[in-house]
Amino acid sequence: MAQRAVWLISHEPGTPLCGTVRFSRRYPTVEKRAKVFNGASYVPIPEDGPFLKSLLFELRLLDEDKDFEESRDSCSHISKTSVYGLKVGGEELWPVVAFLKNGIVYACVPLVEQTLSPRPPLISISAISQGFEFLFGIQDFLHSSSKNDTELNTKLSQLPDLLLQACPFGTLLDANLQNSLDSINFASVSHPQKQPAWKAGTYKGKPQVSISITEKVNSMQYDKQDIADTWQVIGAVTCKCDLEGIMPNVTISLSLPTNGSPLQDILVHPCVTSLDSAILTSSSIDAMDDSAFSGPYKFPFSPPLESFNLCYYTSQVPVPPILGFYQMNEEGIQLKITANLKLHESVKNNFEFCEAHIPFYNRGPITHVEYKVSFGQLEVFREKSLLIWIIGQKFPKSMEISLSGTVTFGAKNHDKQPFDHICTGNTAYLKTGN
Amino acid sequence: MGPLSRETWAQRLGAFRASPSAFMAGPEGEDLGGDLLNDLRSEKLSEQTKVSLLALSLEYPAQLWPDAPAAEAAATSLLDTLVLLPPRPSALRRPLLLAATTVLVAGGALGPTSGASLRLLPLLLGLAMGRDLGRGFGPSSEQRPLQATAYECLRELESCKPGLLGGCLGLLRGLLGQEGPVGPVQPLSLLLAQALRNALVIQARAGASLQDLLTVKASLTAGGPWNWTLTAEGGTHLQPQAPSWPAAEKEECGLSALKPSPEEARELRAAVAQLLDTSYLLTPVAQAQLLWLLGWALRGLRGQPPVLFKPQLVRLLGTAQLTLLHAVLALKAAFGEALFTAQDEALLLRRLTVAAQHPALPLPTHLFYLHCLLNFPENCPLGPAGEEATPLLLEPQLCRGLLPSLLHDPMALLARLHLLCLLCAEDGEEEGRGQGQSPQRYLEELLASLQQRAALSGGPRALATLCFQASYLVARCLAGQPTVLTPLTHGLAQLYRARPALAPHFVDFLDRVGPELGEPLRVVLQQEVVSRPGGDEALRWHLQMLARVADKDAQSATLSFLQAAAAHCTDWGLQQALLRACRALLLAGVRGGLADLLQALARQLEDPDGRDHARLYYILLGHLSGPKLAVALGPSLATPALASSLVAENQGFAAALMVQEAPAPIRLSVGPYRAEGPTPVLQLQVEVLEPVYSLELRFRVEGQLCAPLEAVHIPCLCPGRPAQPLLLPLQPRRPAPTQLDIRALYTKPTGLTCYAHLPPLPVRFADLFLPFPQPPEGAGLGFFEELWDSCLPKGTESRLWCPLGPWGLEALVSCHLEPFVVVAQPPTSYHVAIRLPPHSRLLLRLEAAQEDGVPVVLRTDDWTVLPLVGDYLRGLAAAV
Repeated sequence: MAQRAVWLISHEPGTPLCGTVRFSRRYPTVEKRAKVFNGASYVPIPEDGPFLKSLLFELRLLDEDKDFEESRDSCSHISKTSVYGLKVGGEELWPVVAFLKNGIVYACVPLVEQTLSPRPPLISISAISQGFEFLFGIQDFLHSSSKNDTELNTKLSQLPDLLLQACPFGTLLDANLQNSLDSINFASVSHPQKQPAWKAGTYKGKPQVSISITEKVNSMQYDKQDIADTWQVIGAVTCKCDLEGIMPNVTISLSLPTNGSPLQDILVHPCVTSLDSAILTSSSIDAMDDSAFSGPYKFPFSPPLESFNLCYYTSQVPVPPILGFYQMNEEGIQLKITANLKLHESVKNNFEFCEAHIPFYNRGPITHVEYKVSFGQLEVFREKSLLIWIIGQKFPKSMEISLSGTVTFGAKNHDKQPFDHICTGNTAYLKTGN
Repeated sequence: MGPLSRETWAQRLGAFRASPSAFMAGPEGEDLGGDLLNDLRSEKLSEQTKVSLLALSLEYPAQLWPDAPAAEAAATSLLDTLVLLPPRPSALRRPLLLAATTVLVAGGALGPTSGASLRLLPLLLGLAMGRDLGRGFGPSSEQRPLQATAYECLRELESCKPGLLGGCLGLLRGLLGQEGPVGPVQPLSLLLAQALRNALVIQARAGASLQDLLTVKASLTAGGPWNWTLTAEGGTHLQPQAPSWPAAEKEECGLSALKPSPEEARELRAAVAQLLDTSYLLTPVAQAQLLWLLGWALRGLRGQPPVLFKPQLVRLLGTAQLTLLHAVLALKAAFGEALFTAQDEALLLRRLTVAAQHPALPLPTHLFYLHCLLNFPENCPLGPAGEEATPLLLEPQLCRGLLPSLLHDPMALLARLHLLCLLCAEDGEEEGRGQGQSPQRYLEELLASLQQRAALSGGPRALATLCFQASYLVARCLAGQPTVLTPLTHGLAQLYRARPALAPHFVDFLDRVGPELGEPLRVVLQQEVVSRPGGDEALRWHLQMLARVADKDAQSATLSFLQAAAAHCTDWGLQQALLRACRALLLAGVRGGLADLLQALARQLEDPDGRDHARLYYILLGHLSGPKLAVALGPSLATPALASSLVAENQGFAAALMVQEAPAPIRLSVGPYRAEGPTPVLQLQVEVLEPVYSLELRFRVEGQLCAPLEAVHIPCLCPGRPAQPLLLPLQPRRPAPTQLDIRALYTKPTGLTCYAHLPPLPVRFADLFLPFPQPPEGAGLGFFEELWDSCLPKGTESRLWCPLGPWGLEALVSCHLEPFVVVAQPPTSYHVAIRLPPHSRLLLRLEAAQEDGVPVVLRTDDWTVLPLVGDYLRGLAAAV
C-alpha cells in the first residue's frame, strides 16, 4: 500500500490555467510496482502541466462551464466519492484521490496492487484510505497555524524535507507531519524502553493535563405547528497532557450535568486503549429513551506529546440556546425584514462576542437600508450584500432583542454578488455566532 | 565543466521540474544525470543544494538514468559519495541511502550480479542492526535516524523484490524481541511483516520450509554473501497480488496451497502475535499497514485461526481514523465469520453509519464510508458479488440519518441518493411494510426539488448536471418501478418547459437511460416541443431536442411545428438544426407531409447549403423505400451494396465542414531574380498535381528577418496549365538570408477543405540585392567613387579572392551582377554597387582578373554582411 505521486495545487479562478502546482512529489519505486501490478491497464503518472489541467476540469474548477461538455456533464458520469478518473493523453488515470479545501486542491494517486480492468471496488484498495490520510495530514500541517500566504509558503517549502521523513518511499509512515518535524529536531538517543513512533520525545517538567470542550449547536427552527424544530450539539474534547515517562496512562472521565442529554456518536482518538461497549453503540440514530447510556464516559489512553482531540460526540440539547424568528417580505424592489432573537435563560449571558449575520443571495448590492434595532448595532456590507448585527457581549435583561427594517438592492451583477441555489426568492437564513 | 553555482542549479532544477520530458529532449538533458552526481561531491555547494539535487534523483531516476547500466553506475557513485562524507553530522546520509535504493530499483539494476546492490544490502542491514560501521558513518547522534532509514530502504527493496529478506526473518524477529536499548520499533515491525508475508506467498509457490526461515538466526555476517534464493524462487518479477478481497476468486489466493506443519504453525502464530502485541507503538497509519499485511499473510492459511486479531478490534472500532477502520474492514473481508460474529458485524455496520455522517469528519471521509457501506463485506451476502447493495443487517432505521437532502454537496447527495434508491428497491419488493414516510415518497420530493433547482435560469450548469445525474441513478436502480418513473418523467418534462436551454442534457440523458424511462420521456418531450409556437426564442434548443425525440407519432403536429419554425430559421446554424430534425423524421419513416415540407424548404431557405440538403432529402424520400433510406442515412459504412455517394453524403457532411490535414499536391519554387522596384521581390513558381481551388498561402519568415508577409490567394490552379508567377515583395529588417515557412489552405475538387504544411523556401542573400538608380551616362565613375568614399570611416573595407570558373570574369558578371554594374571595362574590370535594404550598401571592385580568379576589393557600411558577402562571392563560380 503506497502512493505513486502527490500534488498540491492552488486554485486560482480567473487566471488562464485556473491554478498552479505548488508542490508535487513522485515515487518511482512505487511506479515500478504499479507497472507490474497493473499490467496492460497501467497508465503512467503524467507531468504536472497536463495533470493540473485534467484535474481542474474533472473537479469543475475551470472557469469555462458555459457549454455542455459530455466528458464532464454527462448524466452517467457520476462521482460519489472524492476519487476520480482523469483523462490524460487519451488514457484514464485512476484512482486519483482529490479534494479542494481552503483554495488548495490536494491530490494523490494510490497504488492498486492488481489489474485495473475491471476496476476493483475502492474498499478493496488498501492505499485509498492511506491516500486520504496523507492528504489530510498535509492539510492539517499547512493550515494548523498558518493564517496568511507567507506562512503557507514557508510551510510548503518545508514539505520536501518533511516527506523525506514521513513518506520517504510513498508508503506513509505518519500522517501527523508535525510529529515528523519534531522528530527531526529531537536529539535522538537510545531509549531504554520502546518508544512509540507517534511520540517524538518525552516531556520533562511539571505534570499538567489541560482539557477543553468545544460545542457547536446546529438548529433548524420552523415556527410551525406541524414541523418540529431540530437541534444538535457537536462537541469536541481537546487534551494536552504534559506528563513525564514514555507512556503514561491517563483516564479521563466525562459526566453529564444534571438533566444533561447523553453523548452520542462518540469517535475517539486512536490513542484511547479501550472503550465501554455502551460508548461504542450509543448513537443518534436510535430513538431516545431513558435507558440510554448516560455516563460516566471513561476514556483510558496514553497521550501523545501534542494537543489532540480525545473524542468527538453529538448530543441532543433539550432547547436551543438562542431562539430565533426571521421574516422577510418582498415589496417591489424593497425587502422588509424582521428578526427577533431570544436567549434561553439556562445559558450564561456573557459572551466574548455575539453577532448575527444576515446574508442576501441572488440579488444586487445593497443600495439603501433603513432599520431599527432594540439593542446592539447594525453594520452594512453593501458589496457583499450582507448585514451584521453586532449584539456585543451580553443580551439585555429582557433576554430578547429585535431588528426590523427595509433593504433596497441595486442591479444584479452575476460575477460579484453571492450566489446560492437554496436561498432563492423568500428563502433566507440568519446565522448567530458567539 | 566545473561545478555549477547554486543559482544555476536552482534554475536548472526549476526548468527540469516544469517539464522533465522537454528538458531531457533539450540540449542540457544529456548531461544532467552526470553533472548531478559530480556536483554532489563538490565542496562549493551547500548541503541544502545537494539535498535538492538528491531530491531530484529520488523523484526522476528513470529520466536521469534510464537503463540498468546507467542506474548501476549512478548507484555506485551515490554509494561512493556516502562513504567519502567526512565523519561530522551531515544532512546528506539519509537522502543518499534513499537515493541509492531508489535508483537501483527504478533502473531495474537490483540483483545478484549488481555490484552496487551487493554493497548496499549489507550496508543497510548493518545500519539496521545497529552495528558499528566505523567513523565514516557519522556521529552517534545520527545513528538512530539512519537506522530507521535503513529499515525503510530494506522494506522498499523487499516490496519491489519479494523474498529478498526472506533469509533475515529469524534475525528480524530476534531484533523485535530484544530487551534493553532497542532500535525504532515501527520500521522494524513493518519490515518484518512485509518480509513474512512475501515469504509465505513464495513458500506457497515454491515449498520452502517456513520454520527454518522463522527460526534460523542471522546467517549473514557483514562480509557474507547475500541469500538471493528466495527471490529466484519467487520469480524474478513481481506478481500481481492476490487480492485480499473475497469478491475475487478464492482459488487464486496464493496461500491456499500452503499447509504448515504444527511446528511451523506455532512459529508463525508466535511471530504474528509478537507483531500485534507491539502494534500500539506504531502510528495509526502504520498500524493499519501492519493489519493489512498480516491479514494478507494469514488469509487462507489452514489451521491459523484469526482470533489473534480479536484483542485489537475493540480498540480500533472506536476510532474514526480512516486507515484503521478500513483495515478492520479488510480483516472482515479476509476472515468473515471466523473473526466477526453476526453481532460484531452489526456493531461494525453501526459504527460505519455513524462515521458516514458524523459532523466532525470531513466530506471525503463521509463519502468513503458510504462507499464502504454499499460494498460492505458481509458474512452471508445475498446479492451477486461485485455489485453495490445495502447489507442485510443495515436496517432502514439505521439509514435514516443518511438520507439525501438538497443542502448536501453534490457528491454526498448522489452517494446518499444511491443508498436511498437501494432502500426503495427493497421497499418495493416488500410493499406495505413501512410505517412513517416511505422512502419512495421521500425520493419523489427530492427529485422534484432537484428539478426546481435546475430550472433556475442563470444557475450554474453543475446544478442541472446534478439533477440529470440523480435522475439517471434513479432510472438505473429503479428501472422496474413505474410508481417512481412516472412522476420522474413528468418532472423532467416540466423542467424542459421551464428551461429549454438544457436540451443537450436531455439528449444525453435519453441516450443513456433504458427504454423503461427513455420511451415515455421521449414521447412527452416531443409533445412539449411541438406544442410551442415556432418562433420561440429557444428555437435552437427545440430543434436540437426534436432531432432526438421526433418519431412517427404526433407527426402532423411535428410537421406543422417545423413548418412554422422554418420561417424563423434565418441563420445557417438554425437551418442545419431544422434539417437535422427533418432527417430524424425521414429516418423514422414519416412520409406524406414531410415531402411537402422538404420541398418548401428547398425553395424557401436562404442558405444555398440548406436548400441543397433539403433537396437531397426530398429526392431520397421520393426515390428510396424505408429500409434503403435507413441504410442510406444510417451511420454505418458496412453496407457496400449501397455505398454510393449517398452514404458518402452522410459521412462527407461532417468531413466537409472540417479542415483536413493532407500531403500537399502543391509545389513551390523560387523563380529567377528580378531587380526591379523599391523592395526586393521574390518570384515564386507554383505547380499543382491536381486541381486546387481557393488556395490560400500563408507565409511566416523565420527569425523575423523580414516584416510579416500577407497571405496570397489564388482562385484556381490546374495541373499542366502554366500559372502566373507569384510576386512576393519582401521588406527586410536586416540584410540576411532566411527561410519562409509556408502553409497552404485549399479546397479539393471533392469539396473537402485541406490544410498542408509545405517544405520551407530559402530566401538567399542575393535575393535581397537592389540596384542603385542608374547615374547619367558618363557620370558612373564619379558616382561610384562618391559612394566608395562615403563608406568609410563608419563602414569597413575588405579584400577577397573570388575564384572564377572556366567561363571567366565577364560571364560571371553578366550572369550574376549585371543589374548592379555601375562602371564596366570588359573583360577585366567592373565596379559594382548594390543596395541592401533596409539601409545598407555593398560596393565591389573587381579588377585585374587572372586565369583562375579575380581579386575583389569591397566596401560596405554594414560590417555584419561581410561573412555573407564572402560566402556569396566564393559560391558564384560554382553557380555560373
